[in-house]
Amino acid sequence: MLLRRIYQFLIIYLLGLFLLLVIKYALNLSDYVIPGPVEIWETCRETLPRYFSDVMDTLSVAIIGQFISIVLAISIGVIGRQATWFGSFVKVAAYNFQAYPIVAIAPIVFILLGDGFISRLLIAAMICYFPLLLSVVGIMSEPISDIEHFYRITGRMRWQLEVKIRAFENLSKLTTVIAGSATLAMAGTIVAEFIAANAGIGYSIRIALYQSNLSKILVALFTIGVSLSVYQGMLEMAGYMINKRWKG
Amino acid sequence: MGGKLIKLIYTLPAVILISLFIKTENGFAAQKSVQMNYRLKWLFNASVVGDLYADANGFFKTRGLDVTVKEGGPERDAIRELELGYAHFGVASADQVIRALSKGAPVVVIAQLFQINPLQWIHRTEKFNIQQIRDLKGKVIGVTYGGNDETIMRTLLAKEKIADNEVTLFSVRYDYTPFYQDKVDLWPVYRNSQGITIASKLRASGEEIGYVNPAELGVQFVANSIVTSKKMLMDHPEIVKTFIRALLAAWEESLDPANREKSLTLVGKFDKDTPRVHLEEQLAVTRSLVKPSLKIKIGSIDTQAWKQTERIMLDQKLIPERVHVERALKHYIR
Repeated sequence: MLLRRIYQFLIIYLLGLFLLLVIKYALNLSDYVIPGPVEIWETCRETLPRYFSDVMDTLSVAIIGQFISIVLAISIGVIGRQATWFGSFVKVAAYNFQAYPIVAIAPIVFILLGDGFISRLLIAAMICYFPLLLSVVGIMSEPISDIEHFYRITGRMRWQLEVKIRAFENLSKLTTVIAGSATLAMAGTIVAEFIAANAGIGYSIRIALYQSNLSKILVALFTIGVSLSVYQGMLEMAGYMINKRWKG
Repeated sequence: MGGKLIKLIYTLPAVILISLFIKTENGFAAQKSVQMNYRLKWLFNASVVGDLYADANGFFKTRGLDVTVKEGGPERDAIRELELGYAHFGVASADQVIRALSKGAPVVVIAQLFQINPLQWIHRTEKFNIQQIRDLKGKVIGVTYGGNDETIMRTLLAKEKIADNEVTLFSVRYDYTPFYQDKVDLWPVYRNSQGITIASKLRASGEEIGYVNPAELGVQFVANSIVTSKKMLMDHPEIVKTFIRALLAAWEESLDPANREKSLTLVGKFDKDTPRVHLEEQLAVTRSLVKPSLKIKIGSIDTQAWKQTERIMLDQKLIPERVHVERALKHYIR
């Protein structure tokens, strides 16, 4: 599963790179517009270790941000699943909050909290949590009538049991959504770093853009892709194991 | 019916391709009024007054050119657009030009807009004054890592052999709070845009400000210039000449104190968020940077300053080897 993720990424990356080079040579573009293979290789040798360390920094923030957003989405999803006034209020508040573009909120976050770890974490969690919330609300609002009916007529239904039943019955959906949200957490952290942070791969990409250095950006994309593939592969494996253990 | 549809599906892209080819081949010669794009470096504000003035007052049209002046921005790169054919002329900073040349981009400089680089450092004069480079010792200095200001500041420090541990470099972003809070002594600003806004806020709270101009400390780093592609220059020298004459005439007229009101009204139409009083100051400062003395003609290329810019970039390993930038400078104004 893990290896498949990595080589799938490598195929996509190399295809993209190949396409860029085809455009470069077909249109006879200079290395300033699209760098040549030698320059890309040399930049890769020079910057890969540094960028790898930057990506690890970004990934660590993304993982914590994703964890926070999972907790947040499940909490709001569980409350919002209720057809009560409060449940609908929580849902509306959560949806409205997401309506504001993060890039517009991010500068305020950085002004208030500074350009350190907390700001990056908050923005990563903000970008990641909404799709998770939608899935959790969707799953948690859908009754599993066959099973729930028994507990209801016997008067043994409690909200904790309801949540457990619905989560168990939709376990594979939940694990898929959580694995997919890793991409969003990573993207959120990179956006935050790009806007204002002083560390991480997003910050390095910004500097490379200042220097009009596309080779560095291509190397950065490579390190992001590889790291994310490994992380997502690990999440998928964890999901598979949980499914296997619970459902047999 | 099905066969006709398939034929159409096959034929349509071919027709589109051929028509595109014909348009390209006919190029400028077949058209009465030449349609061209001019990509600026930054957003529409007082620092591009001449460009706006040329467009609004028909400087291009009366000379038979149909030019669309396009706003720039952080994600825009005029040199790349020239090479990809999206723009015919553009504005680029000297470091962009030198980087592009070092990577083989076929770009030429046809005029230098700013004779003095607007990128300077603002500071509170009640705290200190910077008369010479060594006065920077012990200061907290804002720089945008990877930006021009980092290059210029490092050159200043290297010139006086000031070690990294003798100053504190502070990473700068769009948020000026650290400077307002006095956590940073010197903050990089564009003298004719943010510089005016920051200065007015500080003056309002009773603080006096000054600027560190690297050129006065011996570091000339060229700012924005007008560029085009080598192909454009070779294939259509007359158009290039007409364009640059029209544009520089517009710059001259827009900065003429007699046309101040007209220029301010024009800039105000595009830059609605800047108060009129700031626009007035921005225009005055832009004038002093573009035309610092009556002797200097707008658009003159300062070859020595370009050479120094290249040397700085070479010293800081921003380019691997010399590009002989002087060969890419085309002097239309002398």
